[in-house]
Order: sequence, then structure tokens, then C-alpha cells
Amino acid sequence: MNRSGISKKRPPPSNTPPPAGKHRATGDSTPSPAIGTLDDEFMMEEDVFLDETLLYGDEDEESLILRDIEERESRSSAWARPPLSPAYLSNSQSIIFQQLEIDSIIAESHKELLPGSSGQAPIIRMFGVTREGNSVCCFVHGFEPYFYIACPPGMGPDDISNFHQSLEGRMRESNKNAKVPKFVKRIEMVQKRSIMYYQQQKSQTFLKITVALPTMVASCRGILDRGLQIDGLGMKSFQTYESNILFVLRFMVDCDIVGGNWIEVPTGKYKKNARTLSYCQLEFHCLYSDLISHAAEGEYSKMAPFRVLSFDIECAGRKGHFPEAKHDPVIQIANLVTLQGEDHPFVRNVMTLKSCAPIVGVDVMSFETEREVLLAWRDLIRDVDPDIIIGYNICKFDLPYLIERAATLGIEEFPLLGRVKNSRVRVRDSTFSSRQQGIRESKETTIEGRFQFDLIQAIHRDHKLSSYSLNSVSAHFLSEQKEDVHHSIITDLQNGNAETRRRLAVYCLKDAYLPQRLLDKLMFIYNYVEMARVTGVPISFLLARGQSIKVLSQLLRKGKQKNLVLPNAKQSGSEQGTYEGATVLEARTGFYEKPIATLDFASLYPSIMMAYNLCYCTLVTPEDVRKLNLPPEHVTKTPSGETFVKQTLQKGILPEILEELLTARKRAKADLKEAKDPLEKAVLDGRQLALKISANSVYGFTGATVGQLPCLEISSSVTSYGRQMIEQTKKLVEDKFTTLGGYQYNAEVIYGDTDSVMVQFGVSDVEAAMTLGREAAEHISGTFIKPIKLEFEKVYFPYLLINKKRYAGLLWTNPQQFDKMDTKGIETVRRDNCLLVKNLVTESLNKILIDRDVPGAAENVKKTISDLLMNRIDLSLLVITKGLTKTGDDYEVKSAHGELAERMRKRDAATAPNVGDRVPYVIIKAAKGAKAYERSEDPIYVLQNNIPIDPNYYLENQISKPLLRIFEPVLKNASKELLHGSHTRSISITTPSNSGIMKFAKKQLSCVGCKVPISNGTLCASCKGREAELYCKNVSQVAELEEVFGRLWTQCQECQGSLHQDVLCTSRDCPIFYRRMKAQKDMAVARQQLDRWSF
Amino acid sequence: MLELRLVQGSLLKKVLESIKDLVNDANFDCSSTGFSLQAMDSSHVALVSLLLRSEGFEHYRCDRNLSMGMNLGNMSKMLKCAGNDDIITIKADDGGDTVTFMFESPTQDKIADFEMKLMDIDSEHLGIPDAEYHSIVRMPSNEFSRICKDLSSIGDTVVISVTKEGVKFSTAGDIGTANIVLRQNTTVDKPEDAIVIEMKEPVSLSFALRYMNSFTKATPLSDTVTISLSSELPVVVEYKVAEMGYIRYYLAPKIEEEEDTNP
Repeated sequence: MNRSGISKKRPPPSNTPPPAGKHRATGDSTPSPAIGTLDDEFMMEEDVFLDETLLYGDEDEESLILRDIEERESRSSAWARPPLSPAYLSNSQSIIFQQLEIDSIIAESHKELLPGSSGQAPIIRMFGVTREGNSVCCFVHGFEPYFYIACPPGMGPDDISNFHQSLEGRMRESNKNAKVPKFVKRIEMVQKRSIMYYQQQKSQTFLKITVALPTMVASCRGILDRGLQIDGLGMKSFQTYESNILFVLRFMVDCDIVGGNWIEVPTGKYKKNARTLSYCQLEFHCLYSDLISHAAEGEYSKMAPFRVLSFDIECAGRKGHFPEAKHDPVIQIANLVTLQGEDHPFVRNVMTLKSCAPIVGVDVMSFETEREVLLAWRDLIRDVDPDIIIGYNICKFDLPYLIERAATLGIEEFPLLGRVKNSRVRVRDSTFSSRQQGIRESKETTIEGRFQFDLIQAIHRDHKLSSYSLNSVSAHFLSEQKEDVHHSIITDLQNGNAETRRRLAVYCLKDAYLPQRLLDKLMFIYNYVEMARVTGVPISFLLARGQSIKVLSQLLRKGKQKNLVLPNAKQSGSEQGTYEGATVLEARTGFYEKPIATLDFASLYPSIMMAYNLCYCTLVTPEDVRKLNLPPEHVTKTPSGETFVKQTLQKGILPEILEELLTARKRAKADLKEAKDPLEKAVLDGRQLALKISANSVYGFTGATVGQLPCLEISSSVTSYGRQMIEQTKKLVEDKFTTLGGYQYNAEVIYGDTDSVMVQFGVSDVEAAMTLGREAAEHISGTFIKPIKLEFEKVYFPYLLINKKRYAGLLWTNPQQFDKMDTKGIETVRRDNCLLVKNLVTESLNKILIDRDVPGAAENVKKTISDLLMNRIDLSLLVITKGLTKTGDDYEVKSAHGELAERMRKRDAATAPNVGDRVPYVIIKAAKGAKAYERSEDPIYVLQNNIPIDPNYYLENQISKPLLRIFEPVLKNASKELLHGSHTRSISITTPSNSGIMKFAKKQLSCVGCKVPISNGTLCASCKGREAELYCKNVSQVAELEEVFGRLWTQCQECQGSLHQDVLCTSRDCPIFYRRMKAQKDMAVARQQLDRWSF
Repeated sequence: MLELRLVQGSLLKKVLESIKDLVNDANFDCSSTGFSLQAMDSSHVALVSLLLRSEGFEHYRCDRNLSMGMNLGNMSKMLKCAGNDDIITIKADDGGDTVTFMFESPTQDKIADFEMKLMDIDSEHLGIPDAEYHSIVRMPSNEFSRICKDLSSIGDTVVISVTKEGVKFSTAGDIGTANIVLRQNTTVDKPEDAIVIEMKEPVSLSFALRYMNSFTKATPLSDTVTISLSSELPVVVEYKVAEMGYIRYYLAPKIEEEEDTNP
């Protein structure tokens, strides 16, 4: 980007520069080359800064130091947590806190609490916050890891000690360096039942094996899996039960603790040690049996005042390289600390390397060395003691960078960021893979006792967006842009003066502020805490793990109540086979101008599981079907051929879990209606959402073949019932609502998908369709087993059914006014199309469905196509983005974005997209027959070099298909009308500025009026006399473009938060950026033409 | 009012065949002096310049200067309907949005009217300034066409070098290399078979054969072709159109760094 070019075209600065002499007096502020022409404008502010330094100068050195100490102290007191109340100090109050993080460590067992034991023992650590805002670290002792095995037949209580001994022996062999007196602590006989398959006897004998340390569960399981020689019984291998459960989860299940709930430790039950191990205000030890876990109800559904730290760092990279911790310094760290539930942060500061001009409302802390910056941040972490650390991409970039940088600089005391004394923060690579999310690579930085919440991960998980840059994410959710300073400019700003660094600091602060805003806006804390409470897993699992752990946690809890144990699923590879999914009824495509009623099954899959009692423990194996001879009235045979017993014999625990989830959701929804307090509402809404998601993921858990406990018999039965129900509904509707049955018209099912059926009753007003819909829903619900319920919820009118999984319509839930436009599978949401398609489709649908104006819609399309051919479309609308999954060479088939990334790397390795980035590109004109991958180009490069885009590509490959899909049902000859009409006969051929022949060709003068080539002057002979008209047109055109550019420029200035500085932003995600560049170019061309008039 | 009557209608047909592969849409400029076109190919590497002087037409009327935007593919479709011996008349109204092609058979027993919708093409007028060339080669057009075709089966770049010895066309490809040398030869029976080399300075330039092959589509227009070369200037490949004008192709020489910027 040619910066000086821009500043010339900018509207003239309103403030007059101060006298030059004053400027010189500042001495050290020689203008840096990077900011060149802007210095004039800096001066005003710089003077303010100067005055302040002069003020400091008046004081003597001693008072400066004093002032420094005072400052530091006042900071510390502002940062610190509220002091402990006397009741806590005197141990006369029971401690109630909300826990956020739970983990386990191995240490010497506590002599006071567990007098009988010695050696190493697992200790659970819980970190949390009290209602008063005091931090808590609770060490829980006495909980021991265990698992079950089925007791082999013939083994009696007398054989146990024998078995114990041989197991202990084998364990000793395989764990030679463990420092425990006894590996297998106990083996007890218990009466339990396996969750798998229907069994007639109430219980069986199991052996509960308790081991010394959590890690020994796995090795013990290995030994038992492979087989063990037992006296009198010979070599035996055992099926283990509940042996792959994380120790922390085991503890939570057994103590009835769910993620993020309140824990009480009564007075006298906790012991404080004189030597503390953590930095928490309240640190104590207790026995696991003394914990009181409060259910999240009433007072205990609230949130403790957590401290949330949002931060961002800036690094000064070298030219042409992405910053690397080995070489490039950390130059700024911006921090915001907010108390959970409050609107404004109570700490807002930025730590900078080298001086930085003051920023209103922000504590600017400048340091001379990088070491001081890093240590200041560590002090902040220690003093503020945040419970939650948030940021954007902190897990992959900021945190590892800080740690690595400190290691490079040899600052050994830096990585002590956790709450545990003397424990260094470690970084390790991790991969996360799940069926739902795909594989993602990340870094894991463990900061003990602080929960890290990386917004990019959460948003990646919950939302599908075309770009996940902080900029476009905030534009999407907050409708707020930020400036995007390229990392190569950051170094220039840092090497400038206090003002340029202030600029950078403002940018850095914004990057720290936006994650906090996103967190509040998307209610992540509430939703995640509620999800943790509902499913019972620690909050950190929600981000780091997949769906199945949540269902597993619920199964374990329920199983514990019912005395059931879960077998350890054999990891038999991924391919256990697949099963048939949901059904989709044939779509009768077309444009329906009569109301279409939609009948939905409410929570179809969960209700099928409940209605037919489908569960692990109700499934009868084919073998047992023959053997047990169950009476037919007590079993159900599912359409997929499996047999399950009915509730009369055995109630399944999956149905029970689902029932509880759904009743809880109903209750949450009812409470939500009554709730007044906005915070309470947020909690309840988060809860009902969590309950819904959890109910739906139960089905997925049974079908996950690589999961913890897959059971395809259940999942295939569920889908087979689902298919049957859709078919049955269709039949019932079409049989009942006929003219023969006394209705006005014959009803027609036009489409059906997974859990809904669309019916055209034939009536033409919405109210009548609603009445019939309700009647149908009631009638059909009656024919199904409870709780399967067909609900009538909405009417589509009009309705455009394009094909399977693609439709659009106006949604009505009351007969007076439609609610919104609802679309599915249409290009309004797809990510790999350009914005133009999305806009065009949305506009067309609005016109067709809401305004009922098909000709108007067609007209609009034609106008847009004409604009496209005339090169009047913003480049930002034409940008296509695709994710780069591997480097160019690894793509088997050449792809437009892969090739472009490769080409950009050759041009400038620093700005080229990397694997994992989304690559934006446009398609440009090239020689005939060139492939699309040869024609992809970086949008910014296109703008800079005036390269013509290829409108025909966009017309044929992007716009035509989605548009024709919409228009074909409503417009005759849609393709001819829209894509080949007379509006396509005006085109513009732009001249590129750098390509082959353009180095030699000269632009010839042409007449301003009629474009005929002329040798000199402005007008051709035949246009003479139109001067006045054409000149006015030209002037107004320039004025118009100037205004457009002026506005765009101001918009960008507002976005960067300063009205008297040059705009540096080159954000590829921002439509304003492209428009600004284009407006600037157009304006230059128009001005040139204006200059040709010489009067 | 525009009315151009061309007795040798086949000329117009051939002209169109020789440019429609390079250019999709272009403006035809009509002035009192003649009928012309300047356009870049869609990849902006080559430029076509066509001129048909007014004197070459049997009847030439052009009241005011006109720029007519045409889709060359569509125009070629229409002209294909004309017989080789037909007389072609181009008619258009000032400010109208159509152009009419009228085909008359030589015996005047068949008259056909084809009306084509015009396009509004907003583009800049480009031209290559006239220059002195270091070397000018005149040779039979079908010989040039043959050379380009042969070389393109081996490589995709041709190096044209003019020395005292003559003109050398060479290429290299995966399968091997090829060199074709032509010597000055003016002692032939027919003047159009002559090879004339005017060399002021030796030159050696490389070009993409893909474009050269497109240029030779103009071979039917003329028996001879003139190739003008200068280092640091685009090559000009010129075919005369009867006595009434020319069609010139300009092609920028290949420079190695260009590979990156012009994929």
C-alpha cells in the first residue's frame, strides 16, 4: 500500500500544525520514516506529553523513586482480592465455595486426617472462590481409585486373599519404581449388575479392586485383560468394569459433585497447615467424606465473583517473518480484569516496552527492558489472582509465546503463573480429534488452578463462520470492527516514539477488550457452567474434550444409583459397521402460495428412547431371546429387528436420564418465564440449552463406534422408529384430511425430514391452516406411545421448496404477522460462496417471499448482474474464502486457494497464508482455457494492480446455480431471463496496470461524451456543444466519489479510535477496507478525467 | 448513419476468424477514414489492432464517429451465414443499439439481413506507439504458420533471433529441442515466396507460442507476414488485408521474472 498516496488524498487535516520551533524543542522526536507524513498531526498530542515529562523533570530523583514505590503499592492494593473476614481467619465458619477447577496430584498422605496410612496417595485439589470473592484451594484426602471385575464363577470369599496376592505380585513387577507400600489396597466382594443386556437376576458378584494410585488402574487393567494365574482356577482373563474413568471424574461421581457447583466444608472438618502450598487465601485439607455438595438450586445456582483476566500480547517480528519466540521480543501486554457479573473491568492496564504516551482510563506501565515487562505481567497474575484467563488464540499463541520467550531470555522466575507454589507452567503440544469437530492441533499450557478459556476454540466449536479472525468474529457477533494492523507494521510502530507506541497500545487493548465483550455477549461463562452442572463434568473438559464424556458422566451417576456398572468397551477399531440414518420424504418441489403447516416431533430421538424403553440394560441378546422365553407382551421388537424389554420388566437408565433431562428443561423454561433478574435469566437460559443439547447427545453416544460404550442396536433402533414415524404421519394425514372425511380439501404431504412433516391442507388462510395443523398434531400424537408427541408449531406461507434439504419460507406462529424468514440449505449460509451470492439470494428471497414481488426480484438480480459486468461491484463481495488444510504440494488435485497460497509464498513469505488459515481469493481474467486454479488471486494484490476480475466466472460458477434454484419455480425461462437478457450486454473492460502488453501500450484519448477515440482535447467533433452538461456530470461524479471515500475513511478512523492519524488497517476480512481501496482508485480516475477539461 | 459496403465479403469473414480466438468483446471504431479495432486479449498479454481503410470499401458512409461494441463470437456466427462470394454491407444508425449485416449473392438473386444487438463496452482505447524496429522479417505467411505449429508440438516458448545469417526460430521442451533457420531469399518465381530480412541490429527475443499460434489464424488473409522485432519492445506480427488495411498483433516478450507475476 502506498501510504503517502493515501495521505495526499485524505481530506485536509482540520488542526493547524504548531510552529515549527516548538517541534524542534522536543529534541528526541525525530520523525520516524514509518509514519512519515503524519508527524504534523502528532505534534498537538506530543506537546501534552511533553508538558508532563517536564513536570516530572522538576522533581528530584528521590521523590521520583518514592513516587514509583507508591505507584506500585497502590497498584497492588487495587489488584488484590478482598481480605479474609475474621470468621475465616479464626476457622469459626464453614467454608462454602464454588469450584472451577478440579485436578489430582500425588503426594504424601496427610498424617492428621488419615492417621492409618502412609506413603504416596492421590489427593484431589479443588480451586474455587467464595461468595465474598476469596480464593480457595481445597485438598481432599482419602479418596482412592478403584474399578470392578466380574467375579469368576467358583471364586468365593476365601479365594480373595490368594487372588490379591498374585495380583499384587504382578503389579510389583510392572511398576518397579513406585513408592507405595501396597499396590492393591483392597479387594472386596460387592453385589452389582452390568449395564449391558437385560438380565433376569437382580445382581451378580463383582470384585471391587482398590489400588493405591490412579495410574495403577490402567496397569492393573492390563494385567487382568491379559490374564492372571489363580490357584485352583487356572489362567483367567477378566472383563473390567469402569476401569477407564478419569480419577477426577470418579471422585466427582462418587461425591455427587458436578462441574462448577458449590461445595461446603463445615467448621471443624477442615485443617489448615502452617506451611501453605498455594497462593490462595484459603487453603485447607479435608476428608472426601466430609464434603457437602450443593445442588445448583436457589442460592446455589448463582455464580461466585470470579476474576476474569482478558489479555493480549504484541510482538515485534522481523521483516518478512511471523514472530518467533526465539528471536522476537514481546513489546506490549494489555490486560483487563473483570469480576464475573459486572459490566466494567476494575483493572485496565497495558505494559509496554519503552515509553508510551498516556491513555485515558488506562494504567500505562512502561519499562525499559523486556524482562521487566514479563515480570510485571507475572506480578499482575499473582496479585490479581485471576480464576479464569481468557483471550483470543491465547492457547495457541500468546501463552506459549510468553513462556518460550521467558525461557529464551533466561527469566527463570517467570513461568510461576499457577496458584501452586514453585510449580512451573509447562507447554506441550496436543491434538484434539472428534467426529464432530475434526482434528485440531493445539498447544496445552497448564496453569494450575486457573481455568483457561480461549474464545477462538469456543467459537470454533459452537459456530460455523467464514473466518475466525478476531476481527470478523467481532464483526459478526458484536457488529463491531477493529483495525487490523499487519504484524510487519507493528515493528515500525514500536521503533517510533511514545506516540506510535501509544497507538500500538490502544490496538493491543482493543484486542484484550474484544474477547471480554464476546464472552459477555455469547454468555460463555453461564452456558459452560450450566453445561458442566447438567452433565457433571469439570468445566475444563467442555473445551478440551468431545461430547461423549458428558454422557458417560451422566451414565456413571445414574448407574451408581441403580447399582449398575459399565463395562470397559473394547476399542475394537473404528469400523463396527454403520446403520441406516434418518429418512427424508420425497420433496414435491415448487413454490407454494398456500399456507404449509409444519408438524414437528418434539425431541424425537430422546422420546423414542423413552417410549420404547431403549437402553443398554433392556436390550435382549438374540441368544437370550430364545433362552429366556419372554412373554411377547413384555418385549418390543424394533423395526430394525432388535428386542428390548418393556418398562414392566426393567426400566432402562437411558430413558430415565432423558426423562430427567427433559423435565429439568421444562422446569428451567418455566422458571425462566418467571425470572426477573437478568443474571438469573442468563443462568436459566444457559441451563435449558445445556439440557437440550445433552438430551440430544445421548443418541449420538450410543452410535459413536469409537466412543466409550457404543451400542449400535440402540442407535439403529432409534432411527428405524424415526423413519417409521415419519411415514406413518404422512399416511395418517393424507388418510384423514380428505374431502371424503368432510374436509374442504385433500391434504397433501409435500415434504418430510428427520423429525418434521410439511403438510399443505389446501386452505388459503394462515389461521385455518393453523387450526387444521393443531387438529392433525393432536390426532396423530394420540396414535403414538407417550412421550412421543407430534407438535404443531408453525406455518410456512409462502413456501419455496427447492429440493431435499433446501427450502425457504416465511414462518408464522400466529395468524396476524409472520415471525421471520426461515431458510435451510440455501446459499444464505454457506461459507464457500462469495458474499455477492449470499446477498443476492437473501435479497431475492425477501422480494419473492415477503414483498411477493417476483418481477422486482428478477429486476434486482438483473441490476446486480449488470453491475458485475460493468465492474461496479465491491471486491469484498467477490472474495471467496477456503480453508488451507495442507500445503500446495500435498493437494492431489490443484485447488484455487492452494495454488494461490503457494504463489503468495513466493511473493512474500511473511504475509502468505499458512496451513489452517482461511485463504481469501478472487478469480481474475486470464487466457482462454486457463483453469480456475490458475486464475485465483489475492484480493489485495488485485486491488493494488488493478487486475480485472472475471465476471463470467462469477456469473456461471457462483451466481447462476443458486439463483436458478430459487427462480425456476417462480419464473418462466428463468435462466434466459436472468442470465442472458439485455442487461448482460453492457460490460466494462478494465485495463490492468502491470501486465504484459500494458508496459508498452499507451492509452489513447477518447471523447468524454461518446468514447470515440480522438487525438486531442476532451470532446469529439460531434459532441461539441455538450461541454456544460458533461462537465457538470464529471464534477458531480468526482464530488460523489470524494464523499464516499471521505466517509469510508472516517469509518476506518473511527474504528481505529483516532481521528487524526493515518489509517494503517489492511484487514482482509473487512468489507470497508476493500470499498475504501476501490473508492480511492475510482476517485483518482474520475479526477484525472476532470483534469482534462481545460477552460 | 453508417453504411459500409464491402464487395469482397470473404475478407470480413477472415478478419473475424483471425481475432475471435483472442478477444471476446470489443469496440469497432468507425470514422470517416476507416473501420478499426484495438483490443487486448483476455489475459492482457497481446494486443490486436485492425484497420480497414475507407477507400477499400465500395461504398463508405460514416456521418459521425461511432464506437460499436460487439461480441466477436456472436458476430462470427452471423458472418458464417454469408457465402464466400457474397457482398457484405454493414449498417447502423447513430445511437442505435443494433447493427445490421446484409449479405447479397453475386448474382443479386439472394439478399439476407442479419441484425445483431450491440453491446455497451466501457474500455480504454489502447495503442502501441510506432517505433523503429531493429529487424524486420518478411516471409510467406503459411511458412510462418507451419513453423509455429511445428515448434509448439515440442515446446511452449519460441526464441526468434535475427542475425546476419538469417532468422532462427528455436524452442526446447521435455522431448528435445528444435531449431529452424531461414535465410534471405529474394530469387524466387513468385514475389510472395520471398524471404526478406532487414537487419539494423541483431535481436533475440522469446515469446509464448500459444499466442503466436493464435496470430497465424490470420494466414488466409495474406500470403506474406511481416515480423518486426526490437529488444525491449513487443513484437509486431502484421498481415495485410488486401490493399485496404492490416491486422497487427503485438506481443510482449517473455521475461523470466514475469513467470511469477503473470501465471
